[in-house]
Amino acid sequence: MRGMTAALLFGVLLGVSASIPASENITRGDLQSIIDAAEPRSVIMLDPGVYVGNVTIDKPLTLSGNEWPVVDGAGTGTVITITAPDVTVEGLIIRSSGISLDREDSGITVRAPRVTLIGNQLEDVLFGIYLLSSEDSVVSDNVIGAKSDVYVASRGDGLRLWESERSLVERNVVRDGRDAVFWFTDDVVIRDNEITGGRYGLHFMYSDRIIVEGNHLVDNSVGAYMMYSVGVEFRNNIFANNSGPSGYGIGFKDMDDYTIEGNRFIANRSGLYLDNSPSSADAYGLVRDNLFAYNQVGALFLPAVTNNLIYGNSFIDNVEQVGVTSTGTFKDNDWSFDGRGNYWSDFAGYDADGDGIGDIVYRVDDLYNTLTDKYPDLQFFQDTPAAKAIALAAEMFPVLRPLPLMEDYFPLIERPELPPVRDLETGSQAPALALVSLLMLVGSAVILQVPIRQNRSRTKKEAMA
Amino acid sequence: MTAITTRIEPTTERLEPSLVWVIASKEIHDATRSKWFWLWTVAFAGLAAFMASVALPGSQVTGYGSFGRTAASLVALAQIIVPLMGLTLGAYSIAGQRETGALRFLLSHPVSRSEAFCGTYLGLAISLAATVFGGFGIAGIITVAQGGGANAASFVRIAVLSWLLSISMLGFGMLVSTFTRRSSAALGTAVFLWLGFVFIGDLGVMGTSVATQVPTWGLLVSAVLNPVEAFRLASLSAFSGSLDVLGPAGSFAVDTFGDSLGLLLFVNVVVWAIVPALVAWARFAHGGDV
Repeated sequence: MRGMTAALLFGVLLGVSASIPASENITRGDLQSIIDAAEPRSVIMLDPGVYVGNVTIDKPLTLSGNEWPVVDGAGTGTVITITAPDVTVEGLIIRSSGISLDREDSGITVRAPRVTLIGNQLEDVLFGIYLLSSEDSVVSDNVIGAKSDVYVASRGDGLRLWESERSLVERNVVRDGRDAVFWFTDDVVIRDNEITGGRYGLHFMYSDRIIVEGNHLVDNSVGAYMMYSVGVEFRNNIFANNSGPSGYGIGFKDMDDYTIEGNRFIANRSGLYLDNSPSSADAYGLVRDNLFAYNQVGALFLPAVTNNLIYGNSFIDNVEQVGVTSTGTFKDNDWSFDGRGNYWSDFAGYDADGDGIGDIVYRVDDLYNTLTDKYPDLQFFQDTPAAKAIALAAEMFPVLRPLPLMEDYFPLIERPELPPVRDLETGSQAPALALVSLLMLVGSAVILQVPIRQNRSRTKKEAMA
Repeated sequence: MTAITTRIEPTTERLEPSLVWVIASKEIHDATRSKWFWLWTVAFAGLAAFMASVALPGSQVTGYGSFGRTAASLVALAQIIVPLMGLTLGAYSIAGQRETGALRFLLSHPVSRSEAFCGTYLGLAISLAATVFGGFGIAGIITVAQGGGANAASFVRIAVLSWLLSISMLGFGMLVSTFTRRSSAALGTAVFLWLGFVFIGDLGVMGTSVATQVPTWGLLVSAVLNPVEAFRLASLSAFSGSLDVLGPAGSFAVDTFGDSLGLLLFVNVVVWAIVPALVAWARFAHGGDV
């Protein structure tokens, strides 16, 4: 008791003397009893300090943190469980859940509709925020970290929404979790989130009319993977460096009526991956005004994927601009609309009439890439002179030329403008590169000067001899 | 048979560093004034500069990932030109000196064969460093000037690997040179070797792999046995941190060797940089006409 008073006193002194959060140094009592004592629909302003123990909120109220109070699950179970509707939790640090995947130990588990979770920080939790049948909820501005000492497949999902229709997930930062999962969750809006270092950045199943907008999905194994959903829209997201063995920016399986527009696919294994999408005969797939740059494959389709309309996109310096796995082609997909195709960085054509459309067809019929589609082992020779020689041989001897994978009849001459997006924050590497480059040049120059000095010393040596 | 083995024993000849350096500096002096050297230097630097300048910063997304493709182009370029550079300079070295009588003249001085060899090798290796680092330096400056960026450490690693490749090929070239009497024959053989390392080897492995379904690890072994491939793999792992981009065989390598893969690939290149020169040295030091 005396120790606690001392800690309190110390914390108060610290709180007064400096503006750093005092929470760590104050041990508070039981949060559960505070909640139990509160009237429904009241507002609890939580003072700084560490509140140890798991908590259940079973009546509508607002729990609001002042100067980042910490709710610590002490490494067991779910830290905060919400079982009543209309609860708001904001401004808390929530940490140390248990590690049981079976019990789905989480930072916050919600089992009621209309819950609002704003501006919390979750640390060292197995699952981050888990919404179960929580329609019309809002999850925004939270920062969700993971149990980074647990192997990635044994981690929980940073975010999981299950049957939580019409929810809004906005401006959250999710790091190093397993997936962000949305199942049976229609009409959700996912906007301006940052999801990095996970397995599946976003993972959807049976969730119709979802809008995914302005998110950054970087350094995951897969950016977004969606299955069995209708009417999904992806706009102005950035998918960068998603490079696991699958490594898709976006992967779709059995999806219908989707729009993929204004996204940036950068340096992924494949930017877009389509498997039987659209799956119904009368459904559409619209892929327009996106940027595919520096990916291993810009857009990769499984054979017999049809009915996609792909135009206004820029394909820039992808190792393979577009490809079909094994032996298919892009038959029955359209690469232009209303006389406008796509921009291809490797288009070797011209525009004599100046209408902005290339006067010859852009055609993908690279023999080497056709071979790698068929024999993936041959990707081993990517970018080698031998691979280039094979492609060149097919150019020169039409008898070797494979059937074209696709043809764009209206290739664009200028790279189309894309709608603006929030930029990724990448630190500038230029100064260090400039420095080492200069050093290399100076080194070369010094070498070129060597003989003049050495000749003199040699003469000296000879004279001495 | 015995005669041959004794001829290739390690040398016990005198190897006076200062004398080696005198010969090396003369070699640098000659090299930096020769047509060949400048042809290679200008070609390499020019193409590297071109590669760097056509690599678009590419997107509104702050140059993310753009260096990956620049680096891949630089590696592809180095893979073609650097071996040709090293092989021809090496092939011409001893054979050329022999043809003009310069070698006989040099060895009539109190200079041992080992000193002559090591001096020549060192001089050419240093000259090649000027070419390689000059080319990379220019490419780096242009990348920066265009608002691009790259991880400086990977960039240096690729440059160093390119130089190691060049001296590996220098070793092969000098080995050819010790076998041939005429410089034209040496150059011809060198170009043939180059074709083998750069094109025919890979094409052969590719063809074999399609026709006979070589197991995935077979591709790795084939790569380790070809110095140019060894260089390519080490460079790829230096700038992409992994070989995942190389499909199943790359993933296999990553799974098998894990974090030590980069180091192993680097050591592989170092071994290839040293061994041919040692063999050439042993061969030259132990006889043959001058």
